[in-house]
Amino acid sequence: MRFWRYAAQRLAFLPLQLFIVSVIVFFLVRLLPGDPSYLLAGPFATVERVEEVRTRLGLNQPLHVQYVRYVLSIARGELGTSWVTSRPVLADIAQRLPATMELVLLAVFFCVVIGIPLGVLTAVRKRGIADRLVFGYGLLAGALPDFWFALIVIFVFFYKLGWFPGPVGQLDLTVSMPRHVTGMYALDALLTADWPALRSAVTHLVLPVATLTAIYMPLVMKNTRSTMEDMLGSDFVTYARAAGLSRLMQLRYALRNSLPSVVTIVGILFWFLLGGAVLVETVFAWGGLGQYAVQSVVNSDYAPLQAFVLLTAVFTSVVFLLVDLAYFFLDPRIRA
Amino acid sequence: MTIPTAHFWRFARTQPGFLFGLVVVMVTVFLALLGPWIAPYRPEEALPGQAVLPPNVDHWMGTDISGMDIFSRVIAAPRIDLTIALISTVVAFVGGVVLGVVSGFFAGARGLWALVSNAIMRGADIFQAFPLFIFALALVGFRGPSIQNVIVALAFLNVPFFLRVTRGAVLHVRERPFVDAARCVGGSGLRIAFVHVMPNALTPALANLSPTIGFSILLTSALSFVGAGVPIPTPEWGSMIAIGAPNMMTGQWWTALFPGLALGVTILGYALVGDGLRDYLDPTHRQ
Repeated sequence: MRFWRYAAQRLAFLPLQLFIVSVIVFFLVRLLPGDPSYLLAGPFATVERVEEVRTRLGLNQPLHVQYVRYVLSIARGELGTSWVTSRPVLADIAQRLPATMELVLLAVFFCVVIGIPLGVLTAVRKRGIADRLVFGYGLLAGALPDFWFALIVIFVFFYKLGWFPGPVGQLDLTVSMPRHVTGMYALDALLTADWPALRSAVTHLVLPVATLTAIYMPLVMKNTRSTMEDMLGSDFVTYARAAGLSRLMQLRYALRNSLPSVVTIVGILFWFLLGGAVLVETVFAWGGLGQYAVQSVVNSDYAPLQAFVLLTAVFTSVVFLLVDLAYFFLDPRIRA
Repeated sequence: MTIPTAHFWRFARTQPGFLFGLVVVMVTVFLALLGPWIAPYRPEEALPGQAVLPPNVDHWMGTDISGMDIFSRVIAAPRIDLTIALISTVVAFVGGVVLGVVSGFFAGARGLWALVSNAIMRGADIFQAFPLFIFALALVGFRGPSIQNVIVALAFLNVPFFLRVTRGAVLHVRERPFVDAARCVGGSGLRIAFVHVMPNALTPALANLSPTIGFSILLTSALSFVGAGVPIPTPEWGSMIAIGAPNMMTGQWWTALFPGLALGVTILGYALVGDGLRDYLDPTHRQ
């Protein structure tokens, strides 16, 4: 019961958060020196076109009127037109979002299934060989630029060893796209039993996902280690040991109590991976949202950039909301 | 906050990571001052007929696609990278500490200042909802790629970070007896906050200066890598990696390897200095 009340409270706060995010993005564009209608129309626009954009966007009207128009157009799903692809931004994003999601979700998955066991292991065997190795690795991974690491990975596993395809996107050029179900190529190929496409999609996923996992997994690992360390040293584990419970049971207790904090770090992981994906996508010519955003910056294509920033902020707000709810659900002290 | 020299070195001697970091910091500062002059070739000069040479006696790290000497460019790069990181970090430090002192000192108070305190924290929350690199990209993107705009974006991004650590320290310091004493002799709120509380709450922000510089170097190079930072012929590690990227796929590993190594070692060094300083300044972290 408490859970639902808490969930309702947090959900009620979400629109306010999104409202403020929309205000920030709105002013980011409006407060720039110069006339945004030139920017939004693109560098090759004619004078008439700029005038048209100005009237259409209502840039000659007061700011609050402009803001209301802006929010209404977002609500209708109109995010403007990219002058580079000359398509509605919404269509561009819908086409590219699944590719990015596939990358980020897989990276989160591997960070969690590798990072948590490693964190537990090093917490149990403190100052062992594994602990030292893993500590050094964590230190290194924090310092290595992910986009550079991606290039090294490509050099070794594509150029030298030839185990995986080069950075040419999500599929081989010779393989036809799987039938559209979710937009995530590997998943679609699996669902439609399109084996050649599945093989190609999976081999193309390996290197970018491995890069993201290698760089961002230590985040999960270090957090799990420190939480587990606290838990293993806490009174309830000492009591379990004193009561003669097996080592395995003690570990289970400690792990269960570490869960809320681990869930929080997974939320933060999403936040990091969205940024990391932008760079890794660029290296692997992935064709997802991140690469789209980078191209918009390079081409001064403002409508897509504005939409992308808005989208990531909404996405992280929703992820943090889910994390808070999971935390609440997992920690009986708050729930009770 | 004074650093007794002899004591400091006795501490540093026992910390190999900290020493390594200090060496890295000194080398980057030295290169930022003198790098472009001691470089064997001019860093922006394309040597005719010497494109993509592997490392050899004349070119220790080889040359890139347009025949620029990579070693010269690697040691010339700290000038731009460190300058951007240093300016933006110092600006963020000042802004973050001031906001952190205000929001921490007046947290839980009543009246106008409590509102200000709350507004600062909610503002920080909302700005941090944007993933860091994407926010940097957007700020630079909307303003147009230039060195100035990278500095502005990074300064802006790092404020919430210094704000939070300072606020945390202020919340502890404001409970100490000397603050009550200052209040008893009639000091005004702002005066107590900045004259008595702030100097005693600077340690966490100071310890974070060095890692933040390292992190700002990483963000600068990432922005330059995607073409939204330092423009291309300027020697800068991220843009050098971008120039070398196509070569990595065809086997010329030296073009991107060396600038990336320089970048990684630098970030690691600055992070280790931060860890060491934190342990030194805060005796409870010492073993």
